[in-house]
Amino acid sequence: MTAHDWYVEHCVDFVTRTLDSGDETSFADHLRRCEECKAAVQSIERDFAWLPMGAPPVRPRPGFRRQILRDVLGDRQPAWRRWIVPIALAASVLIAFGLYVSERRESDRIARALSTRTGELMALRDSLSVMRQAARVLQASISMNGHEGGLLIFADDVSHRWNVVVHGLPPAPPGETYQFWFICSDGMVRGATVTSEPGRPVFLTLGMPAEGGTVIGAALTMEPKSNRSPEPRGKELAHMLL
Amino acid sequence: MSADADRSRERSRPAGTSAGDGGRFVILHEKELCQRLVARDEQALVELVDVATPWLLGVTHAMLSDAGDAEDVVMQTFEIAWNRVGLVRDDGSDLVPWLLRIARNRAIDQLRARRRHQMKTQLIATLGGLDEDVTPATEPNEAAQPGWHVHETVKAAIGALPDDQRTAILLAYFRGLTQSEIAEHLAIPLGTVKTRLRLAFDKLRVSLATVKDWNL
Repeated sequence: MTAHDWYVEHCVDFVTRTLDSGDETSFADHLRRCEECKAAVQSIERDFAWLPMGAPPVRPRPGFRRQILRDVLGDRQPAWRRWIVPIALAASVLIAFGLYVSERRESDRIARALSTRTGELMALRDSLSVMRQAARVLQASISMNGHEGGLLIFADDVSHRWNVVVHGLPPAPPGETYQFWFICSDGMVRGATVTSEPGRPVFLTLGMPAEGGTVIGAALTMEPKSNRSPEPRGKELAHMLL
Repeated sequence: MSADADRSRERSRPAGTSAGDGGRFVILHEKELCQRLVARDEQALVELVDVATPWLLGVTHAMLSDAGDAEDVVMQTFEIAWNRVGLVRDDGSDLVPWLLRIARNRAIDQLRARRRHQMKTQLIATLGGLDEDVTPATEPNEAAQPGWHVHETVKAAIGALPDDQRTAILLAYFRGLTQSEIAEHLAIPLGTVKTRLRLAFDKLRVSLATVKDWNL
């Protein structure tokens, strides 16, 4: 038997793939060079074309046919169609995150504004309580640079606090400031600096000073900002005694 | 049934399939289907997947004994078919056999690549013939399955073989064993296996000569 005879004899075995690995590789090499064997193999393939259908058909699971089509045809879709869903998802996540951040900032801003307003409301309630409980009310008029203003004091003897209202005064000249003083039995005691704004009264709620003895009155002066002395040195605008 | 009703029923089916007598479905116009596949007609692929998938799953499942692996091979088969359909003969007559050959060869490659023969041989020991193997449920209406009569013919041809030859064919062709593996599995000489396969294939060659295409 020649080598070629061996290949002719094993054509069926090659087609049905019952040769061992080594023989199968050798046969495939021979087939590339031998037209006679190639024709014989093709003829045998046709003879056994339907033999695989000896196995009974198997019902595909639901969705398997669709999966095949998606896999086979998937690569032929335009790039934008393949990426549209991931891009849309990413965009949705980014938009949602942006809205969250924006809403969070707005929420924080509103919370801060509410806190400020709550503080102001508490201060106003406190001021109002001082005014409602005031045992004495003192008032002095102040004329300054054509403005007619005044100093109003509501003295609460229960809580020992004064609610002071300064109104109608122009802003202080550069380098100077309005200064409120307590007149005490032992001398003048520095109270609070008053920052005047046009058209808006200034409200101060002050406790009694710990030093200087008994409070017997109050004064408002215009002081140089550099003055840190315990005694007033500027022009006196109002002076009142209890 | 009137001719109009017949025509109406015909139109309701996918193109490329038709109903014969007794509800038998067959692929018609294989040449046209093949040309449409070459022209990248996606609907033609849908029709081919529809009729061929159960048979491809049948042969791959019989060989691999694993539903997931069988599905993988069938998917690969259709990918190859879609990309290389131009290799089919012009008349399209060997379209389905070509798919079956690709699927079977892929299944054998997978078996050998994964060195699953030992596991498979152990599994075979617990199995009987093709009708009592591990294949899951077949189509509910088998007679309506396109190609069912081809299956019946092939099955009858295999069933007509003597027991020893039929066993050798089942192990070789539907379980993917080589001649040496069959000899080892049956504990018989290699020469005996070769003789049994030679005789069996010669008989099948004659029996299957009447099967020319999907439409018997």
